[in-house]
Amino acid sequence: MTMKSEPFVVNVGPQHPSTHGVFRLRLTMDGEKIVDAEMVVGYLHRSMEKLAEGRTYTQNIPFTDRLDYLSAMSNNLAYCMAVEKLAGIDVPERGQFLRVIMAEFQRIANHAMAIASFAMECGVWFTPLMWMFREREKILDLFEMTCGARLTTNYVRIGGVSFDIPPEFMPAARALLKEMPERIAEYEALLMENEIILARSRDVGVLQPDLAIASSASGPVLRGSGVMWDIRKADPYAAYDRLEFDIPVGTCGDCYDRFLVRMEELRQSVRILEQALDMLPDGPASVNVPLALRPPAGEAYARIEAPKGELGFYLVSDGSPHPHRFHIRSPSYINLTPLRDMVVGLTVPDAVITLGSIDIVLGEVDR
Amino acid sequence: MDDVGSVVAFWMLSVMTLGAAVMVVAVRNLIYAVLFLILSFIGVAGLYLTLSADFVAIAQVLIYAGAVSVLILFAVLLTPRAARDNAETFLQVPGLVLATLVAVTIGAIALVTDWNEATRGAFPETAGAIGEALLDKYVLPFEIASVILLAAMIGAIVLVRED
Amino acid sequence: MIFLAEWWDLRDLGNPVGKLLELLGDHGPDWLPYAVSAIVGSITIVVFLLVSLLAFAWVERRLLGRMQARLGPNRVGPWGVFQSIADAIKFVTKEAITSRNVDRWMFWAAPVLVAVPVLVVFAVLPFGEGMVLADLNVGVLFVIAVGSVTAIPIFMAGWSSNNKFSLLGAMREVAMLISYELPQVLALLGVVVFAGTMRMNGIVGWQDEHNTWLIFLQPLAVLIYLIAGTVEINRTPTDIAEAESEIVAGYHTEYSGIKFGMFWLTEYFAGFAIAAIIATVYLGGWTLWGLEEWVPGWIIFLAKLYGLFWLFIWMRGTLPRLRIDQLMGFAWKFLLPLALINIFVAGLEVLIWRENDLAAEAVLPGFAIANLVLAGVLIVAWARFLGRARPSWRPARARLVKELGAVVYGQEG
Repeated sequence: MTMKSEPFVVNVGPQHPSTHGVFRLRLTMDGEKIVDAEMVVGYLHRSMEKLAEGRTYTQNIPFTDRLDYLSAMSNNLAYCMAVEKLAGIDVPERGQFLRVIMAEFQRIANHAMAIASFAMECGVWFTPLMWMFREREKILDLFEMTCGARLTTNYVRIGGVSFDIPPEFMPAARALLKEMPERIAEYEALLMENEIILARSRDVGVLQPDLAIASSASGPVLRGSGVMWDIRKADPYAAYDRLEFDIPVGTCGDCYDRFLVRMEELRQSVRILEQALDMLPDGPASVNVPLALRPPAGEAYARIEAPKGELGFYLVSDGSPHPHRFHIRSPSYINLTPLRDMVVGLTVPDAVITLGSIDIVLGEVDR
Repeated sequence: MDDVGSVVAFWMLSVMTLGAAVMVVAVRNLIYAVLFLILSFIGVAGLYLTLSADFVAIAQVLIYAGAVSVLILFAVLLTPRAARDNAETFLQVPGLVLATLVAVTIGAIALVTDWNEATRGAFPETAGAIGEALLDKYVLPFEIASVILLAAMIGAIVLVRED
Repeated sequence: MIFLAEWWDLRDLGNPVGKLLELLGDHGPDWLPYAVSAIVGSITIVVFLLVSLLAFAWVERRLLGRMQARLGPNRVGPWGVFQSIADAIKFVTKEAITSRNVDRWMFWAAPVLVAVPVLVVFAVLPFGEGMVLADLNVGVLFVIAVGSVTAIPIFMAGWSSNNKFSLLGAMREVAMLISYELPQVLALLGVVVFAGTMRMNGIVGWQDEHNTWLIFLQPLAVLIYLIAGTVEINRTPTDIAEAESEIVAGYHTEYSGIKFGMFWLTEYFAGFAIAAIIATVYLGGWTLWGLEEWVPGWIIFLAKLYGLFWLFIWMRGTLPRLRIDQLMGFAWKFLLPLALINIFVAGLEVLIWRENDLAAEAVLPGFAIANLVLAGVLIVAWARFLGRARPSWRPARARLVKELGAVVYGQEG
């Protein structure tokens, strides 16, 4: 005799505390087990790709801030790199280094948020979140003193950056970098060998490397599955080819590995930043580019290793000041695609932390 | 049954127990029925208290109100047709007859028996006496009961195992 | 313990009340002392709980603020001390929404009933020698029985809300409560075996008489009871029934206003209750090795109670949440066998002690050391046996590589 229970549907989202915004996960359950998961996106769709076609290249930079609003610098950078590739603009060396510095600070800020929200998903009552916000806040202060904005920075511009760093930036940045290793050790002491986190996240939400590659996942999600891949090394941009760093990879592709990879990336970012601040050359930070830039007709794709994965912009120009086609390859959206395979067979709490370990931002998923 | 308090408590608890018991069979909603059953259990526990049997009263709350009823709640929820009501059934008439017979028998016995009247003292320590009785005089029935329960438990697990 | 037992001996507030009751018994109808003592006791308990709640709702948030590198409430009054009062006013004045498809009777009854069992627990807990509302013979059992009934209002709340998340939360809560009842009972049984009584004041008296706390004789049981108690009060390592990242707010998802306030308040009350039970049963209650002659016993008791509550706050600020199956497995596979061994050992020790008529001063320290060692060994050994240690091939940190393109996955990697 077997007991059969009727499958029932649990809607996680669009209004749910752990969907990172307005994401909807429609879980079909057989008792405690998830038998099917349907991802519903589009609640935050703002039609960015179409809107961008009516605006000039420079006017589109603020749009990219609103994609992944937790890592605006990286988004600016990827977009400007695409435009520069399209128009054949070379960025001066200081500008390249400033871009690296900002992008890496942004990576620390983003990973702090990602790790903290993953820990929140595991049920820690705000402690890691608050601790990590302490450092994130200092990074946002650095952004503020450089470009005046904290979240939607609009800092990286076509041909360089909008402002050179102010004199007070260097001491503040160095002080922050000096205390970072200690802080990271604190987070690790709180979370890494925590028995409950281990119990919750080990062997949960496993993403096999072949599925990760097949679904073209990228960033920590891909590296957590043990695939050695990082665009900063594979296709170096800005000044990354002159900097020394390692790529952390996981071994099992579960939530815990993705968490470990992010933890280690914090350390690597600090390492990159220390070198970049030392090597920062003098000279102009940007070249002058006309506001109504008219790139020659053609197409270009530029990609960077954003904190969440491969962020790419594909632009088609017809010679006018507006892009003819503006396409975003956003890491959050593409990293979500293997979610169904990761959560089927698990329970709701597992699905929640799996979603948390992917680290999505809905602004980027829905665009 | 000499002081006023005991009498008042007895009548209140009796009304509560019996009223809740009637509601168990009368209400349509199964969940409500279980909750009235719990109320009835608590009423019985109160009756035990008026009889100075504090250990039994507490055990009644712990086992019946706290554990058994919760298991019944689970059973109601996990049954595929849990939404169905306390519907009409063909057992209504036989059930009623049986209940009447039981009530008449018990009532008759209660009236016919020549009860020993005990004087009511302070609360005696009943827990120790019950423990000694269970583990000394009645140790065999006690152990047999636990073995039977274990067998029932294993049987239930075997029945619902999926393989 | 010999107090003056005069009405003006305020070291034990039971004295004036006792004198008053005697007076009433002498001059009034014989039911009057009962009625008055019930009223005085209940009001005292409710007032004590509400004051503690108001204080600790603020203390908890300030403490958590300290743990989390922030300030905590600091706007209402000096250092924000009136924050809890502001919160209370907010709870009362907010609209208590009743959704259309809820089962109205049960939906309204649940928040009213939910506080009852927790309040009743305090009736048997002695705040001082004479400061106990009902010194039951079966105090320990009473505490457990009443604790087991808390599942029912919570289930009513979850079921009547007509919401899947609420129902899931209620089912989780009920499953958790009945699973953790067993280790809880077995943990408290060890105390009963040593003290030879289930009366709360008797247990306190036993600890006073032998100049020891049962935490030393029953270290394993204290841990088991603490964990089981945390489950019962739904705080973080085990707040599975209202895990906001999974099932929104569990059984009280649909509640708002003062109805939600009742659940929130009950959670604090339950925390105080568990802390009070541990303080009474394992930490010597209102005694402190003679200090109770000088300091009122109830102050000692409250200090112990609040200290234990602080432990709950600390846990909330530190620990993540377990998954429901892990938590249930923990009860059945880990705590239950340990509790059984503990009760067996306790029985054995008492048998040795009583049969050979040994002096308490001689055997109790030995038992304490033996039990402490046993607790440590058992926990480590049983955790080894059950635990999911990290496979040796799995590195503790992410592996660092420089080259690209390869895949390291699983054991071969």
